[in-house]
Amino acid sequence: MDHSGRRSADTDGCKWDAGKRRDSVRWCFVLLASLEIGISREEALEALQVVRQECHGDTARTPGGSGATRKCTALELLEEEQTQGFIITFCSALDNILGGGVQLTKITEICGAPGVGKTQLCMQLAVDVQIPECFGGVAGEAVFIDTEGSFMVDRVVDIAAACVQHCHLIAEAQQEEDHGKALETFSLENILSHIYYFRCRDYTELLAQVYLLPEFLSEHSKVRLVVIDGIAFPFRHDFEDLALRTRLLNGLAQQLIITANDHRAAVILTNQMTTRIGQSQSTLVPALGESWGHAATVRLIFHWDNTQRLATLYKSPSQKESTIAYDITVSVPVGRDMPSWVTLSPGKDCTQI
Amino acid sequence: MGKRELERDGAAGTGMGQPGRGWETPAGWDSRAGEPQRDGTAGPGKRSGPGPSAGGRKQEGSGQGCGEPRRSLLFPFPAEMVVLRAGLCPGLTEDMIQLLRANGIRTVVDFVSSDLEDVAQKCSLSYKALVAVRRVLLAQFSAFPANGADLYEELKSSTAILPTGSPSLDQLLDSGLYTGEVTELMGAPGAGKTQVCLGIAASVSLGLKQHILFLDTTGGFTAARLYQMLQAQTEDEEEQLEALQRVQVERVFNIYEVLRALQELRDRLSQQVVSSMGPLKVVVLDSVSAVIYPLLGGRQSEGLALMMQLSRELKTLAREFSLAVVVTNQVTRDSSSGPLRPALGRSWSFVPSTRVLLESKEGPWERSSTQRAASLAKSPRQPTGIQVELDIGNGDVLEPSLVTPTQGL
Repeated sequence: MDHSGRRSADTDGCKWDAGKRRDSVRWCFVLLASLEIGISREEALEALQVVRQECHGDTARTPGGSGATRKCTALELLEEEQTQGFIITFCSALDNILGGGVQLTKITEICGAPGVGKTQLCMQLAVDVQIPECFGGVAGEAVFIDTEGSFMVDRVVDIAAACVQHCHLIAEAQQEEDHGKALETFSLENILSHIYYFRCRDYTELLAQVYLLPEFLSEHSKVRLVVIDGIAFPFRHDFEDLALRTRLLNGLAQQLIITANDHRAAVILTNQMTTRIGQSQSTLVPALGESWGHAATVRLIFHWDNTQRLATLYKSPSQKESTIAYDITVSVPVGRDMPSWVTLSPGKDCTQI
Repeated sequence: MGKRELERDGAAGTGMGQPGRGWETPAGWDSRAGEPQRDGTAGPGKRSGPGPSAGGRKQEGSGQGCGEPRRSLLFPFPAEMVVLRAGLCPGLTEDMIQLLRANGIRTVVDFVSSDLEDVAQKCSLSYKALVAVRRVLLAQFSAFPANGADLYEELKSSTAILPTGSPSLDQLLDSGLYTGEVTELMGAPGAGKTQVCLGIAASVSLGLKQHILFLDTTGGFTAARLYQMLQAQTEDEEEQLEALQRVQVERVFNIYEVLRALQELRDRLSQQVVSSMGPLKVVVLDSVSAVIYPLLGGRQSEGLALMMQLSRELKTLAREFSLAVVVTNQVTRDSSSGPLRPALGRSWSFVPSTRVLLESKEGPWERSSTQRAASLAKSPRQPTGIQVELDIGNGDVLEPSLVTPTQGL
């Protein structure tokens, strides 16, 4: 990574072929990682190849999305922000504290204890991102990178079916032409086939996958959401050199923000909580250490207050910090016995159109 | 009118703090501010030749002077090696240079550091002439001793103090951001570093009508929030839009891109292409640790070299073009209960001349206010350790409950 990068800096940056550089960046990265952590190079390459096969080979990447277009005035940026929309969570209070939903081109980190609903929200968002534009969605696709194996397809089916049905209800109520047209393609099968699922078993696979992601995304240009469920899990064991861990994690964070920016995608990370032992009392804090806290642009912390689930917006460049209560409910829309999406305790907001 | 006066008027014009109270001038400065001492480089007139040309600096008075490299009294001459050539100084003829070159003496440094008796013998030149030449060269090329009064004059002519938009932060920084210096904001995640940066951008672009370059390395720049701050300061939409246009945002996600962007900026400033940019006063790098952390740790050491390159780049930019450079940094602690310390270690600690630590007072994630404490960790002017309250919710016109979802479903 460093080598090709430095070369580009020396030879005046922009002239260096962007695609070539990225490829070599990725290869170098895996090689360097393998050198640093002591696994053999063959093993690292093998891991990369496994990932590559999952990515369906190495077709040429589009030259667009390189760093050239990242410069603009704040006014242009404001217009961009206003047009790009959000991924709604179906949870009015959560959407409100996030300023409308999960923002594209930003990293949002969800931290919380086990069972508090992180993966639920991720799966919900993987469905929500596909809502057609005429229903106020972003009509995108989703990449789901799973490190813990907690992705449950049957739950996604439930969520997707409920979402489709919800859209049908809206269409019936509104009777607009484009609604009907959009619904023809917005089906359960379609939703499921547009969630690209990757299972990463250790951090080398995860790193390689993240570094290969831009390539995948340029082939699947509609992807607007990248979920990494369990960013902490692969990094929390088998690491003796904490400085190296910090380095790898920070590199990962920078790569993710590049991906988010170049492909106008939202990145969702979930993180575990850990106990920090203080002098008088110990507190529950997000895992991966203090410096990782800077990685995400938006940080949400899910926690319990007795039996009530609370979501706190801990860090956001645009919104105030605030806490809301939410609930994971099994709602029963229209007669069918079917669990639905994450909804909030102060009433569902699905009806406000 | 001196530049300090200029900026002060700008601040007063938009009602950001009362003039003379929001950011007071240090004692004794007012008495001499505003004198027509614009030309800090002319000095006492002993320097000539390849030194800085005094003629090119006339436009400074119009407030556009940042388009030109400033060569201060402290750094009178370029660091490059100067090759001996005819006309460099009286008495140095072409023949002499040929002879010297034949003996391996090419540059001024070669010449003044060689033993002149030897040279006189080898080149069969007059020893007296050589000594005379050396005396002239030394006078021309050695660092010129400047006295404090001259430095002070130069300081007054080239330094501007830019209000940060927050009266309490201005008070902490001794009236605001000083141009020519690197100021660091550090704090834990969510401490409000980016908010303060946005506040500075809003204040400088709206209040002072100056341009800002915002290098965003974490994707934290949110134009909507900046717009919100601008809206809170003025109701004139035209002005808001103009202010937004004066903020140039560049998203750079690794250190090589940061260095390239800074290099580009330096090129642009030294070529005086101000027309497209307007007078640039502030460069914000948010955050510096995000691009350096991926290079530190593990077994590779070039990260440190790159970090020092970045630091040199930032400092020279600040000094040469009279820019206020603001960087943000993370904090670490030695043990889980130890005090917060700035990240990036000792070698970085020399880079910023002012460091401000931002903290929230309440415990983690019970806080919901916008109150923060800012304390001074390093400063050339103020006693360290002083602390002020800071409200990062400035311009918060929208209560969370009033935000209507843009897409209701």
